[in-house]
Amino acid sequence: MNAPDRYERFVVPEGTKKVSYERDTKIINAASFTIEREDHTVGNILRMQLHRDENVLFAGYKLPHPLQYKIIVRIHTTSQSSPMQAYNQAINDLDKELDHLKNAFETEVAKHSREF
Amino acid sequence: MEGASYQRFPTVKIREMKDDYCKFELHSTDASMANALRRVMIAEVPTVAIDLVEIEVNSSVLNDEFIAHRLGLIPLTSDRAMSMRFSRDCDACDGDGQCEFCSVEFHLRAKCINDQTLDVTSKDLYSSDHTVVPVDFSDSGSGIENSEQRGIIIVKLRRGQELRLRAIARKGIGKDHAKWSPAATVTFMYEPEIHINEDMMDTLTLDEKKSWVESSPTKVFDIDPNTQQVVVVDPEAYTYDDEVIKKAEAMGKSGLVEIYAKEDSFIFTVESTGAIKASQLVLNAIDILKQKLDAVRLSEDTVEADEQFGELGAHMRGG
Repeated sequence: MNAPDRYERFVVPEGTKKVSYERDTKIINAASFTIEREDHTVGNILRMQLHRDENVLFAGYKLPHPLQYKIIVRIHTTSQSSPMQAYNQAINDLDKELDHLKNAFETEVAKHSREF
Repeated sequence: MEGASYQRFPTVKIREMKDDYCKFELHSTDASMANALRRVMIAEVPTVAIDLVEIEVNSSVLNDEFIAHRLGLIPLTSDRAMSMRFSRDCDACDGDGQCEFCSVEFHLRAKCINDQTLDVTSKDLYSSDHTVVPVDFSDSGSGIENSEQRGIIIVKLRRGQELRLRAIARKGIGKDHAKWSPAATVTFMYEPEIHINEDMMDTLTLDEKKSWVESSPTKVFDIDPNTQQVVVVDPEAYTYDDEVIKKAEAMGKSGLVEIYAKEDSFIFTVESTGAIKASQLVLNAIDILKQKLDAVRLSEDTVEADEQFGELGAHMRGG
């Protein structure tokens, strides 16, 4: 009856930003990124990639409520870096990793198709 | 942007590949990447499925919405889905969802005219687009060769009953409704690493070895008939149930075997519904995940707004 529409889960409403950034008011080099209409798929790979960065002191994400279709990624870095820099770096690295994975998979598929 | 790269270089090894099944190993990456791929394959790789049904005549025993639901669940060949438009952001038909860029029309007409029950199946659906048709399972090969292998049964009609309808198929994703999910099952497991303490194993009698080997619910170990030594026959049959470890402890032989999960190696099993090939499903999932990451990049105005704020902050901090 009052269930939200199914498309609410993945369509970003008009006038809303996909990613918004908010600096921490008390801690230097700490910030929260609110990502609309995303879930554990993106949240967890981002978090794990941020953990590989040695300038990142803290990286975590939360899904505040199952019916609020957004995640909050919180990053705290050393003064050598900034949350924004770490965030961009993590996305770039993941993007390159996926490019590499795609090539690796395509070569394997081609190799396998030839055998039969 | 400066800063060292923390990129990984995953490797893949395909073990088995059929149209609707694929088993492969994924190495040098972590569980978050494996799980993201699994989640995307299940819920975010698009396919085409019947989404709107206009029933003209239905005198069958099933009601209209029941038939509409059954039609929705029929897998349609969706190789074109990645390049199709979602009807909600199709400009050509302003979200109407009835143009060639975002939809495919189907017609079904069936009437039973004799005393034999008529099976209405997915093969009675006539598509307006030959690239989007109900999945054909008849030539899958390994299955039982039925002389009259027909499609998926939608409804059965008796004498005088009739079904006539028009259906619109649209692009969608599994997150919206499971009928759009191209995956039947997608699973991954950690590759196990099994070490038997051979010195300790040698202290066991043959009967003890037998009872230890049999304590595993799955056939992971066996006894070599010639040397009477315990050997690992199938490490991947291990279900991380700890039964053999508990058994060793109960025998007073703790440390007899050590089993680790390799945290950077995964064995994936992908089964497709037939809408797209299993190997294509994996490739599409990688593309979708890349698109998702691109979408979460920071927009220019957010960066600019922060830089101004940053100068102010630096000024305040610098004093």
